[in-house]
Order: sequence, then C-alpha cells, then structure tokens
Amino acid sequence: MTTEEVISKLGLNSLSKFEHREVVGVFVSDMLSDVMAGAKSGNLWVTVQTHKSIIPAANLVDVSAVIITGGKKVPQETIDLATQHDIAILVTELPTFELVGKLYALGVVTQ
Amino acid sequence: MSDCQHQWAMVHLRFGFMVYERCSHCNSLRTHFSEEDVWDEYREGDCTYMVVENAQTFVFDLACTKCNHVEKYDNLMGLLYCTGCLPDCKVEILRQEYAAKRIFLLVAFGHVPETQTNRISQEKLDILTEHFNQRRDTSRSTVKIVPFNLIDKLSVCRGEFIHDVGMLSLEPPEERKPLL
Ligand SMILES: [Zn+2]
Ligand SMILES: [Zn+2]
Repeated sequence: MTTEEVISKLGLNSLSKFEHREVVGVFVSDMLSDVMAGAKSGNLWVTVQTHKSIIPAANLVDVSAVIITGGKKVPQETIDLATQHDIAILVTELPTFELVGKLYALGVVTQ
Repeated sequence: MSDCQHQWAMVHLRFGFMVYERCSHCNSLRTHFSEEDVWDEYREGDCTYMVVENAQTFVFDLACTKCNHVEKYDNLMGLLYCTGCLPDCKVEILRQEYAAKRIFLLVAFGHVPETQTNRISQEKLDILTEHFNQRRDTSRSTVKIVPFNLIDKLSVCRGEFIHDVGMLSLEPPEERKPLL
C-alpha cells in the first residue's frame, strides 16, 4: 500500500508537499524518544503531537508519513519544515483509536 | 579490526530525562541523564547547581547483530537539528550543501562539560550515522551526524534537540533560549 492509497481510503488531508511512497506498518506514539528508538522505515507514525520537532524525528527514522489525529491544528512552521524534508503530514478529525482501527482493517499492520 | 559488515541495532535502552543544571554562582552549565525526574539543587564547592530544564529522552548503545560488538554511547547527550539561525555558521553552510544532495544533517552533543574537551570520537559518530542509514531507504535520502564543535557560536545557537521538551504544552512554543 502507498501513502496515496491510505490518504484516499481514510479521507485524510495532506498539509505538506511530499512524494508518495510505500507504507510498511504503523507506529503509534506521542514521544519522540519512542519513535527514534522503535519506528521503522516506511511506518505510518500516528500521533497528536504538532510541535516542529516531530519532523526531524520522523525524518531520522524514515517514516512514510506522520498522521496527526483528533483534528489538532498544525503550526505552519511544522508544515513548512515537513515540506522542506519531503515528509508527509496528514491530518484527520478521528481520534487515534478510531484511526488505528481503520488502518488495521485496511491491513496496514505493524511489521 | 574486524571483517564484519556490521549491522547495528539499539541495545541497553533506558528511558528517562536529560537534566540541564546551571550554577547560580558562576553560571556554568552541566548536563546528565537521569532515570528519575529530578529537580533538586545541590552544592559543590562554591557552586550551587539548579535544574533549568528537564527533557524526556532515552539513552542507548549500539550492538552489531552479526558479531555482537558493542559501541557505547553513554556520553551522547542528544541530537540537535539546525534551524539555520546563523547564516554563516559552518553547520548551516553544511546543512544547505547536504540538503541539495538529500542528506539530512544532525549535530551530536556530548554531555557538558566533559565532552567539550573530550569529544565523542568521529568513529562513534560515523557508526551512529551508519545505524540510522541502515534503518532507512537510502535511495530516497540519507542521514549524516556531525560533531557539535562545527557550530561557531554555541552561546547563541538556536538549534533544537530532538527531545520531548515542551511537547505537551498547549501554549504556542516560546522563542527558544540559547543552548549553553
Ligand atoms: Zn559486526
Ligand atoms: Zn559555579
């Protein structure tokens, strides 16, 4: 599955500019340290964090996209930094639990 | 020297806090890692150290999954990303040069004050770079970790650590104070 398919199947909104890529599993955490320690290349990172520091963390571990749940407003500086690093910032009104359930149903399981 | 084509994995992970302390007498800064959330002040000679920041983070070592060689990172305080605060800083110049080649630059900091004189070796930084590149699709982009002494003016640098500090605040982020 690709980021493009995940976006269309779950009705996510893209905030940054990025190239679509292959999605491999899901990583759910609101801690940068968890992500640096445990996320894998191609993971979708699901979080409620919007601080711009999520971008270097996402880039360091090569996640395929950051999905921000709960309809949180994302600061422009976070979006700009994401575009600069070709990182997908996707947003949804759904709370984390519901979004993760939908990802699971789509067959995007953590590998 | 070993012939192993090392494949690095993080081991000995400990989650805790990076504690920044400043002396109210001489203004010197110290950092250390603590598994507990400590805010106690303490005296040492004429100095009284008070905690000025306490950021959630983790420490780790790297081990090769093939030959079991362990590379220790107990001096690594954190990884900083350059925010381009000083246009003529060597790190900012490098960052732009690397960005054109899709190389993502991060700056490794050791603990203060000991690693200002006894820096983390280039070999260790290269191994850390190799670890993060082994974890990514390098056909898209790569990572490069450089030492902090490339920063021209540490006292005015406004780079930011990839640490969990102020992340849960609902207030807009404040202007970042200089690092050291
Ligand atoms: Zn090895
Ligand atoms: Zn002092």
